[in-house]
Amino acid sequence: MPVPIGNYLALATVMFFIGVAGVIVRRNPLVMLMSIELMFNAANLLLIAYARLWLQNAGQIFAFLVITVAAAEAAIGLAIIVTTFRPEKYVDVDDIRTLHG
Amino acid sequence: MTQHVLGVSGSYPLIVALWLLPLAGALFCWAFGPQLRAMAGWVASTVVAASFVLTALSWGAATQNAGGALGAHQPLLSWMPGLDFGLLLDPLSLLWTFIITGVGFLIVFYSMGYMDGDRAFARFFAYMSFFVFAMLTLVLSDNFVGLLVGWGLVGLASYFLIGFWFERPSAVAAARKAFVINVVGDVGMMFTIFLIFANVHSVGFGDTFAAAATLGPGLLFAICLALFIGAAAKSAQVPLHTWLPDAMEGPTPVSALIHAATMVTAGVYLVARCAPLWNHSHDAQILVGTVGGVTALAGALLGMAQWDIKRILAYSTMSQIGYMIMGVGVGAYEGGVAHFFTHAFFKAQLFLGSGLIIHALANEQDVRRMGGLWRRMPFAFWVMLTGVLSICGVPGFSGFFSKDQVVYGALQHGYPWLYAIGVVTAGITAYYMFRLLFITFLGEYRGDVAPADLGIAGEAPAGPPPGEEEAHHAHAPAWLMNAPVAILVVPTVAIGAALMYGGPDSRWSAFFAPLFGGEPVSGAAGTVTLGISEWATSAMLFAFVLIGFAIAWRRYATAGAKQNAVERLRRESIGMPALLVNRFYVDDVIDILFVRPAQSLGAFFGRVLDPRVLDGAVRDVVFWARWLGTAFRSFQTGLVRAYALVLVFGAACFIAYYAFAGSVR
Amino acid sequence: MSLVLATILLPIVAGALLFALPRNSETAARAIGALVAAATVATTVVAGDAQWSFHWLSRPFTAAFHFGATPISYWLALLLAICTACAIAATRVSRTRDMVALILILEGAMMGLFLARDLLVFALCWDLMLIPVFFALVGWGEHPATAWRYLIYNFAGGLTLLLATAAFGVIYGSTDVIGRGAAPFAGGWAEWIYAGFAFAFLVKTPVWPLHTWMPPTYSGLPSPMVSVVSAVQSKAGLYGFIAIALALLPAYVHAFALPLMILGAISLVYGAVVALVQNDVKRVVAYSSLSHLGLIAIAVASGNQLALKGALVYIVAHGLFSAALFIVLGYVEEREDTRSLSRLGGLGWRNPRLAGALCVAALAALGLPGLAGFAGELIILIGVYQAGYVWPVIVALVAIVAASAYMLRLYQDIMNGPPDDDVPVRPDLGWREALAVAPLLAALVAVGVYPAPLLGTHAAPVVTTSSRTP
Repeated sequence: MPVPIGNYLALATVMFFIGVAGVIVRRNPLVMLMSIELMFNAANLLLIAYARLWLQNAGQIFAFLVITVAAAEAAIGLAIIVTTFRPEKYVDVDDIRTLHG
Repeated sequence: MTQHVLGVSGSYPLIVALWLLPLAGALFCWAFGPQLRAMAGWVASTVVAASFVLTALSWGAATQNAGGALGAHQPLLSWMPGLDFGLLLDPLSLLWTFIITGVGFLIVFYSMGYMDGDRAFARFFAYMSFFVFAMLTLVLSDNFVGLLVGWGLVGLASYFLIGFWFERPSAVAAARKAFVINVVGDVGMMFTIFLIFANVHSVGFGDTFAAAATLGPGLLFAICLALFIGAAAKSAQVPLHTWLPDAMEGPTPVSALIHAATMVTAGVYLVARCAPLWNHSHDAQILVGTVGGVTALAGALLGMAQWDIKRILAYSTMSQIGYMIMGVGVGAYEGGVAHFFTHAFFKAQLFLGSGLIIHALANEQDVRRMGGLWRRMPFAFWVMLTGVLSICGVPGFSGFFSKDQVVYGALQHGYPWLYAIGVVTAGITAYYMFRLLFITFLGEYRGDVAPADLGIAGEAPAGPPPGEEEAHHAHAPAWLMNAPVAILVVPTVAIGAALMYGGPDSRWSAFFAPLFGGEPVSGAAGTVTLGISEWATSAMLFAFVLIGFAIAWRRYATAGAKQNAVERLRRESIGMPALLVNRFYVDDVIDILFVRPAQSLGAFFGRVLDPRVLDGAVRDVVFWARWLGTAFRSFQTGLVRAYALVLVFGAACFIAYYAFAGSVR
Repeated sequence: MSLVLATILLPIVAGALLFALPRNSETAARAIGALVAAATVATTVVAGDAQWSFHWLSRPFTAAFHFGATPISYWLALLLAICTACAIAATRVSRTRDMVALILILEGAMMGLFLARDLLVFALCWDLMLIPVFFALVGWGEHPATAWRYLIYNFAGGLTLLLATAAFGVIYGSTDVIGRGAAPFAGGWAEWIYAGFAFAFLVKTPVWPLHTWMPPTYSGLPSPMVSVVSAVQSKAGLYGFIAIALALLPAYVHAFALPLMILGAISLVYGAVVALVQNDVKRVVAYSSLSHLGLIAIAVASGNQLALKGALVYIVAHGLFSAALFIVLGYVEEREDTRSLSRLGGLGWRNPRLAGALCVAALAALGLPGLAGFAGELIILIGVYQAGYVWPVIVALVAIVAASAYMLRLYQDIMNGPPDDDVPVRPDLGWREALAVAPLLAALVAVGVYPAPLLGTHAAPVVTTSSRTP
């Protein structure tokens, strides 16, 4: 018996807002990256759920694309974090403000 | 429109050759100056002399008269339809060419002695040769644009030569002043060209004169007026005369050639050349005649108040050109041109004679510091004496014949007041010229008297710059300077009697009959029947000359005057009327009316309007752009989390909007 | 490859390649640059009116990379090539290699502008040619603000030009219209399109009151670059007026003739009066340019054929003498290390050749009869008078008198007066320096004596454009 779509929707919403809260609240860039990942996965979950519901495979394919992009983004993000914070002992995203106006 | 009435068309390469030879000489002297050194003078003399010979050879072609076409015409090049250039050698330009190359040759030759040892010897002769070329361009052109080209180039040559000793600020200023005032004249000429081209569609003399009768009187007057602005600037007529006395900053041979014999008479040439235009505009004739008369009188009055030997001669030149302009203005073309002809000789002689004195006295030009030179330099004395007799119009001398033609012509054409001015001016001329002669040559030498005792205020001495003087006393053979002056004495004394004796039957009248005689003279511009014979008017003229001479004699030549000359000169210097000392304040008026307003306007525009007002608008734009930027940059905190918050907030707004809009629908 | 394209690309490519030379190579860079520029003189002449075209856009309007000289732009391209060659030969600044490269790139961009037969390409090159000047101002200028002022001012013009071009293309259907004798254009937007063109052209020329970018730009640029900019770049606007505005929108040029003429007349007097009192030698020439170009604006506004022919002569004449003036003033600055008229003086004794070169250039600028400036002035004013405008003629004549005063002041304050014995004596013009100005001076004499080729070959396009003037 298929899980009703409402459950997926509720789970994805919760996951997404946990992610949003993580990006805004946490100052550790690693955690921020993970939170972003969480938001991606919330979206992925919905894509797949609706693809199954409406029997259209485009959603699943999009989910793959998102996973790929997320992987690339994580790689680049980690690289930036490593290069930026290499001299420091700890990582805090509020310490890099060189792009202020 | 290329059909010229003036000049028999055909090919006359001689004209081109005599025209271009001096240019070649100038370029040669300029290019090889350092190598040539003293040879430069010979190069320049040779080319000018060769040009003179070619002119003589062209006599036949220049005077040929074939069915209304007079003289020789050589087409050169064409800019566009209606703007064709060519050379025209007719009796009028032939006369000028003779003076330019003939007197020019003598003066260039003289300069070899005068300029000997100057640092820029070759440059001087390059300029002189260039001047001869420019002046030939002026008189040989067959159209107004070519005339204007010559007009501008002689102004340039004059500029170069006035400012020849260019490390002296006064010479530099004088050169600039002469050039700028001459440009005022050039601009008048340009306006003439616009008027003529718009109405005749050609600038050739022939086309223009042929159409003269069809142009309306108003237009003709405008054309003549604009032309005369050019003539007045070049010929130092009131009120554009102020540059001429200052031009005496140039070396003396320059004053003789450019500012006495040739260039300053270009205005006379212009009016005589455009006789067909003036014949149709009586108003213009009155204007030109009056300006000429006023200039003659003003120059003579100012000449009385001068102490610098060259400035006295400069004002006399201005005055004599006033006579010429008066002559050609009233319609007595032959008379005006005749006075040009004789003036070229006697004034060149006077200048070269004064050059002998200046050269011998190590550049002293103040007559108060001369005196008694009669014994030291008898040759110079006789030269100056014949020149003075000629310029005063003593009967028998050349100047008498031409001056008499002018003043009699004024009476003949119905201008008795100009006749009166002419006669009175002749008297004043006699006074100041004999004053010059007496102060310079009679009495005791005053060169060793302290300047203050002579009433000389501290003025910078003229002449070449200090440091040049040792070089100047290098010993050029005396004959280099004496021979040309001696040759000039002959025409100064005799050419008038030879050519102009006999009034309407003279050779002079016969020579110009085809040019001026055949002109139909309209209305009031025609001659009037006089109840007074030419002999009587000549006698009147001579009477005034005698009065002027007598006053000069009483003041400077009697035994008593000679005895305490120093004291008398001092008193005269101090008591000189301010009006004359300040040259009728013309310079100051020009300064106040034109020079200063232009300068202060320029300063205002450059320092206030440009940076503050015009650029201010631009700066306002920049200011507001910068203010906006400053306002917005405060949003760019650089905090990633803040950005994220804004992003979320924005997204929330969007979602809320669509949710709300959806619910409403 | 087409010679036309070579004329445009050769200097750009050569300029880019120059950066491959060692940083401090001065003589080599100058020699290569001058040779390349001289080669463009040859290609311009050989190419003549040959054309080259490559399709670019079909929607929303037809556009093509279409190059080829029209009779008017032929002379401008030739002027550009000659001035560039002379300017490069005269270049002696810090980082000569970079300066030569920038001048070459500038030449290429301006070649593209003058040879463009397509409005869109014209607008593209319009902006391109600002870039080398901007970098020169940044790199060699005295104040970076000058560079930005130049760039922003001219980009503003470039923007209105681009907008007008786009609007024109959309309405007309094609921008491939320059020198084609296309039918004149009218319609609801035509007025605005003309306004867009006119603003760009007026800024570029410049015409009062849009000139305030010019004096600092001219005094800030090194003299070889400024000689090209003032000689040729300032002509882009006037060329635009003649080749674009008069050809495509004659009715509007005619309708707005009076305002243009008034602005031209104000420029004429304003520039002359300000030039009378400037102390910086380059600013004297800058303001004199404002004055001289105002005269050409009057000629354009009059719409008279003769005046337009004269305008072409004067465009060439002004290019030649302003290039010569700036090059010679550059020599003076190199020697004396100052541009202040009150500090200069007495150079004529020690540097007669330098004085001679400055003298000829200044005389041409003040309109001495027999030199090129006079021929242009005379024919312009004959035409303007013929068209029935008397007051601009009188204003121009007054400005000519003022020109003689400020040009002589410039010449005399530098060359005349007592020589300053405290200053070490500098050598007179060397052969390279003389060679760099000689062609310009010779051309001034040649055009002054015989401007008939300029007056004659241009009869055709000028007649077709102005015959359509209502």
